[in-house]
Amino acid sequence: MSGNPIITCRSVAKSYWRGELEIPVLQGLDLEIPRGGYYALMGPSGSGKTTLLNLIAGIDRPSGGELTVCGSDLASLDDDELAGWRAAHVGFIFQNYNLVPVLNAYENVELPLLLTDMGRRERRARVEEALALVSLTDRMFNYPRQLSGGQEQRVAIARAIVSDPDLLVADEPTGALDAKNAEEVLALMERLNREMGKTILMVTHDPKAAHHARIQIHLEKGVLDKTVERHDPTHHDLAPLPPNDPRDGD
Amino acid sequence: MRFLHLVLRSLLRSRRRTVLTVLSLAVSVMLVAILQSVLFTLDSFAHNPNASNRIAVRHKVSITNLIPYRYIEWLRQQPEVDAVMGLQWFGGVYQDPKNFFPNFAADPEPITRVFKEELVEYSEAQFKDFVRDRNSCIAGHALMEKYGWKVGDVITLKGTIFPMDARLTIRGTWRSRRGTDEQALYFHWKLVEERFPSLKGKIGNFWVRAKNPDDVPRLIERIDRHFADAVEPTHSETENAFQLAFLKMMGDYASMIHAITAAVLVAILIVTANTMAMAIRERATEIAVFRAMGFTGTQVLGLLMVEGLLLTVAGGGTGLLLSFGMAGAVRQTAGTFLPYLADFTIAPETLLLCAHATMVLGILSTFIPAYRAVRRPIVEGLRAL
Repeated sequence: MSGNPIITCRSVAKSYWRGELEIPVLQGLDLEIPRGGYYALMGPSGSGKTTLLNLIAGIDRPSGGELTVCGSDLASLDDDELAGWRAAHVGFIFQNYNLVPVLNAYENVELPLLLTDMGRRERRARVEEALALVSLTDRMFNYPRQLSGGQEQRVAIARAIVSDPDLLVADEPTGALDAKNAEEVLALMERLNREMGKTILMVTHDPKAAHHARIQIHLEKGVLDKTVERHDPTHHDLAPLPPNDPRDGD
Repeated sequence: MRFLHLVLRSLLRSRRRTVLTVLSLAVSVMLVAILQSVLFTLDSFAHNPNASNRIAVRHKVSITNLIPYRYIEWLRQQPEVDAVMGLQWFGGVYQDPKNFFPNFAADPEPITRVFKEELVEYSEAQFKDFVRDRNSCIAGHALMEKYGWKVGDVITLKGTIFPMDARLTIRGTWRSRRGTDEQALYFHWKLVEERFPSLKGKIGNFWVRAKNPDDVPRLIERIDRHFADAVEPTHSETENAFQLAFLKMMGDYASMIHAITAAVLVAILIVTANTMAMAIRERATEIAVFRAMGFTGTQVLGLLMVEGLLLTVAGGGTGLLLSFGMAGAVRQTAGTFLPYLADFTIAPETLLLCAHATMVLGILSTFIPAYRAVRRPIVEGLRAL
């Protein structure tokens, strides 16, 4: 697909054990995703899309095969190294936002930066920048219970990007939102991909959401079924892409 | 320090639960501190360093049997002996049975020599008056203050062991280093002896002061050997051993206190462990999110452990503060009928014990649920909604 993939899966397999019974979820999956791509993982329940997302995000380990993400062979990293790798390379966007209820928006966004050696002033600048990007500067000191679902998800997105990761993984990011908020969140993600060059991998059931991605990957029973590429970048009223946009090479 | 606000916010996540846990911890720690301080106070009474050269001589059969008073002559003749006095626990009460304090019928002259370390400050003239007047007594300063007595007042002690009323003129007082040592009253044994002809020539104990503490074991052995074949054989022991035996008459209080302390600690460990397990279990998803963001298992475990420790330290600290207030109440209440507790306080040893117990409680109650939460796979935690 590309000479510079950010994600490379070679014969990746994943099984779960239920007692004596082995349940294969992914069966020898091969996949390459280029840096700066915006991919939607689709498929019916049990097809392995969330499992694949978890493996790529480094929060689960494959049963077999090779998985290289952001230049690291994830199988070779121990738990602490993997945690450090996630902190440096991956931003998470969850269906239920998963903000910490006892922290305000600012503090939630600041969380990933606490793992860095940044000083308070630098952290503050980064958090304010991230919150400005999601247009929530005025809600900085609101707690999650004081925000709408759409606002919570935007805070979650600010938290995901604040440490400037290479890869954003989103698991049903619009699953808990109404149509209007879902559209805002998807537009925001598209902007992050287009303007900031973030590689986005999104699991979704929703064809409308998937349509925002440049490429849709369909899984069926743990194997790659088909890929569908979107050709019309202006379909969502986006600004014209810069000539060197990574998606041009997809 | 950059994680401290996370810990504090998590602690206050459920304020009611946190406050109730802190209060239950505080009450338990206060109870442990009070119980252990009672034990410490009683133990210190039976380990009085001032008593290292004093010997209590009593009847071999029991503390209630009397021994011949004439033994005092032989005791005085022993070269290692500095002073000897006859001493009888009178057990009288002043006006009301609840007004109980240690009172003794004794030989008046040797008191200041035998109890040299306790009777620190007194008037020679007052003590001479006391020796001269058979119907008089001397009382410690704290006791005088407690009942508002003055030198020259006449008081009546109603005997509980000996059926008599002792009408006594207070001739003198003394001050001591410890309040406990100012709680006693002494009057003339002759007054009791004269009232009961059957007691003539007998007394409960002799208090022997050796010139040198090193002589005490040898002297004890010699006294008991000398009177071994007498009709009324003796049993001699150090004053501390005697006090301990006296305290043991209350039962095996040490084992009882230790058992209650252990029961309280186990109960509060279970309560705290349950609270922490609930608090951690309901944050399974949040813990998974932290780890997904890049917090290591050790970092998350550390945050949870600090949270548990802060909770128990807050409870333990509050409990210790409360125990100081309770110590005053113990002095005012139990101290009046148990003079051992007149100086009751929370000793540094007890503070240390409670501080350690609190820390151990915090670690034990938090570690297991925290460790289990951290060991849980992230993907499982993210599904635990």
